[in-house]
Amino acid sequence: MANAIYQKEDDDRRSTSAKLPKNHLHRGPSLLYTAPALLFFGVFALVPLVGVAILSFTNWDGLSAITFNGLGNWNRMLNDPLVLNAIKITIILTVVSWAVQTPICILLGTFMAGPQKYRALLGVLYFIPLLFSSTAVAITFKKLLDPNFGVGRAFGIDWLAHNWLGDPKTALYAIIFVVSWCFIPLHSLLYQGAVRQVPTSMYEAATIDGAGTVRQFFSITLPQLKYTFATDSTLMIVGSLTYFDLVYVMTAGGPGNATRILPLDMYLKGFKSYDMGGASVVGVIILALGIAVSLILNRLSGSDKMESQMEGA
Amino acid sequence: MRGTLRNKIVRFVAVIVAGGTLLGTTACGSTPAGAASGSGATVWSLNDSTWSSVKETFVEWNKDHPNEQIKNEEFANDAYKEKIRSAIGSGNGPTLVLSWGGSPVTDYVSNKNVVDLTSDLNSVVKSKVLDVVAAEGYRDGKLYAVPVGQVQPAILWTNKAVLKEAGISAAPTTWDELLQDVAKLKAAGKTPISLAGGSKWPYLMWAAYLIDRIGGPDVMKDILAGKTNAWSNAAVIEAMAKIQQLVDAGAFGDSYTSMTADDKADTALLANGQAGFDLMGTWVYADFASINASFAKNDLGFAAFPKVEGGKGDPTMLTGNLANYWSVASSASKTSRATAVSYLKSNTYSDSIVKGLLSSGGVPPVKGIENEIKSADDGTGFLTYVYNAVKKASSYQLSLDVALPSAQGQALLNNLEQVFLKQITPKQFAEAMNKTLE
Amino acid sequence: MIRIKNKQYNLVGGFLGWVWLLIVVIPIYYIVVTSLRDQSEIYSTNPLSLPSKPTLDAYGRVFANDFLLYIGNTLFVTLVTVVLTLLVTIMAAYAITRRADGPARTIYKVIIVGLAIPMQATIIPVYYLIIKMGLYDTLWAIILPSVGFAIPITVMILCNFLRDIPQSLFEAMEVDGASEFKIMFKLAIPMIKPAIITVAIYDALQVWNGFLFPLILTQSQSNRVITMSLWAFQGQFTVDIPGLLAAVVVSVIPLLTAYIFGRKQMVAGLTAGFSK
Repeated sequence: MANAIYQKEDDDRRSTSAKLPKNHLHRGPSLLYTAPALLFFGVFALVPLVGVAILSFTNWDGLSAITFNGLGNWNRMLNDPLVLNAIKITIILTVVSWAVQTPICILLGTFMAGPQKYRALLGVLYFIPLLFSSTAVAITFKKLLDPNFGVGRAFGIDWLAHNWLGDPKTALYAIIFVVSWCFIPLHSLLYQGAVRQVPTSMYEAATIDGAGTVRQFFSITLPQLKYTFATDSTLMIVGSLTYFDLVYVMTAGGPGNATRILPLDMYLKGFKSYDMGGASVVGVIILALGIAVSLILNRLSGSDKMESQMEGA
Repeated sequence: MRGTLRNKIVRFVAVIVAGGTLLGTTACGSTPAGAASGSGATVWSLNDSTWSSVKETFVEWNKDHPNEQIKNEEFANDAYKEKIRSAIGSGNGPTLVLSWGGSPVTDYVSNKNVVDLTSDLNSVVKSKVLDVVAAEGYRDGKLYAVPVGQVQPAILWTNKAVLKEAGISAAPTTWDELLQDVAKLKAAGKTPISLAGGSKWPYLMWAAYLIDRIGGPDVMKDILAGKTNAWSNAAVIEAMAKIQQLVDAGAFGDSYTSMTADDKADTALLANGQAGFDLMGTWVYADFASINASFAKNDLGFAAFPKVEGGKGDPTMLTGNLANYWSVASSASKTSRATAVSYLKSNTYSDSIVKGLLSSGGVPPVKGIENEIKSADDGTGFLTYVYNAVKKASSYQLSLDVALPSAQGQALLNNLEQVFLKQITPKQFAEAMNKTLE
Repeated sequence: MIRIKNKQYNLVGGFLGWVWLLIVVIPIYYIVVTSLRDQSEIYSTNPLSLPSKPTLDAYGRVFANDFLLYIGNTLFVTLVTVVLTLLVTIMAAYAITRRADGPARTIYKVIIVGLAIPMQATIIPVYYLIIKMGLYDTLWAIILPSVGFAIPITVMILCNFLRDIPQSLFEAMEVDGASEFKIMFKLAIPMIKPAIITVAIYDALQVWNGFLFPLILTQSQSNRVITMSLWAFQGQFTVDIPGLLAAVVVSVIPLLTAYIFGRKQMVAGLTAGFSK
């Protein structure tokens, strides 16, 4: 929703600025205005960005001095079954949670966009999970999914009392469920905003043509959500590269590495095995994946729009 | 021109803002709470019940030493392990550094994070503490870690009532008996063995005991010495196969992977009559009493880990933690270190501490306290049993995650978990672990 | 389906809508009833039944554990981070949009790169920096990197809004001889106030619920924030499930209150992250 608005306003602005003379003399305030922001961004974002690359070529156990060891860590990490496993798990988590959330979000968003009052009210309730910290959500679901005193016992349904987080076959999917619980409200809200922007006239025309609800959904609503779909997917996919809190509190990567995603592997290597060099290699891998995904999705989707938005500064 | 004045003001403001932010941060950020400044010392301790007698000594100390206060902060076990190293690496650690001996102490010593305590405390430690426990505090003949608290071997706890219900008359003394008991308990609808797999380190007790019972203490010695392919020893492979044999027999139930020791989930299962056995450290004795007092008094049994037929190991061998240890941080101020040392001098297994430990169900690793133990016994014979087991032990293997360097220890926990989950075979386990020795 | 005259009902959406309501409500209901339950009931009764004798004891145990201190720490960290972030980003965004020349564009691009990067991956060098700065285990160790990480999105959103201010308004003030500083305060900031509120809420939520920075960069009880204390309670309140869930309830009450009173702004603030 927000994005659609920015996009629209962005377009408006460009049309006005186009009317201004190109040789407009005024140069505005000093660049020093940007200094404090650049300082913070430089020290806590750019320096660490370079730093993680440098540290990936060093040995550091958190106690003794840092020493260079060339490609040693990279050799070790690229042959480490834990890292390969983490990449695999991360991809599964990313793809499955995207595939599960997107259709639900589109449907829920469309539903919430309806004019009926109660739907808006449901929207208000859907939003509540967003107020919880991941830690709070993780603790809650850890208890709820407990086979001994969790929700399985509440309904007396045997399969529900399964040891979801303790079974390596189901732990990752249990986490995807909790991730969905957290984030579906947000993404639905975005689709709701997008659906509301679809011109009513399009539906009216379709109704006159005798198209039913289902057909209208597929022939009008879905195509109109294309742009939201692309940006929302980017957000979801890049976001899922960095789920840490939820997984850390719920399973700490277990059982048996079943949920040991890349950020967790990095943390455990760095702060449990005190292999900061190896952990930095994993950090660089996460960075590379994140940038690659952003670039690819940006190319595939509204790359022009995004570019122009950046250029427009 | 307007522009120049404007630029000046802007530049001025920008500099003030940028400078002010940085200044503000350094000014306010200069007193991390962990670091001890000036007089007095800081200490981090654990929040489990067995620490109560140690905590009392801080209270007592603070009463008697108004100018040398010791500030105690409590952590849960796993949280502590996670934090202490970062704290020490950053110079923000407490004055008194708690450890379990092993590789962390070795690392602290080699990085000069802790100070040599030989001249101050050698005689106290040597004269009071049982040799096997005292020895862990020395590196190259110098004392760096002073024992504190109770001795903590892992023993096989039993619920006698549950065993009886399943038709088992006594704790198993051999591996085959254990397997039979598992089958009987399962038939009786119980979880045969309670295991806090979520914490991972309880897996180590099974591995260490089995490796020892099968191959004797030399197997682990080779591994700890970092000998090439030491993990491929036939005893290790067989031990892993035996673990998987237990898993196949359903010995640990279906929810062990999500039970954690910090939650006391495993001890609760035994105390509440849902399980027959629990292989766990002696420190849980007090927990049993707090979870279910009548169980602790009447039905709680304890035994040595069974021997394996044909194995080289000796059933008196123990594994587990020896005790806890105090080291003194070199980053602390001189006066803080002095406070810490004088606290240790007067509080290393003093008579009142020994008494306090015994009354809370812990066995102090102190020489010649047979009489005190006898008089403190609550009728279960537990204290005497543990004291004698430690004294008679032919060898005592420190918990492997502590004994091994931290990266190897973490790899062991990780691979061992996969053995329990049957995600890897014993052979794959050995191969994966051999890689960590390279 | 929407705003249409005929009354065809969106069956799939409707069904899902109600099912999702249940999925959202059951866990929340569970947290609340369990936090009111007596410890002894936990293992014996149906976890979703109403407590037979509701009690606030669990909340007492939570507050006896310094929870107010943790709320105070979190408030401090959140407020300082948001104020610092706004201060530096408003100035930067103002200069970038007003100048709109080559250097400004370059600066904008550099900052915007931060949006495409999973910044958490740089936690190890951040940890190293914080130790070297002597800030480890202080609240500033959370604040400073949080400001650094919040800058890209905040600058981008503010720039988007600043660019909407008609040039003529700026020119009018310049003609009146107002300094840039004055123009920023008198014109730009009031004009983009909704955007400032939105990003402030967004940044505040990120910090309030943040976990990784406090986990890695602080340790002691006196510097604990709410998320850390929940995590610590998990280890401490080992068998005290009502206590643990009471802590969860307490942790969310401030945000819930904000949501009740400022729902529109909260929603806008949360979805601000979407413009990534």
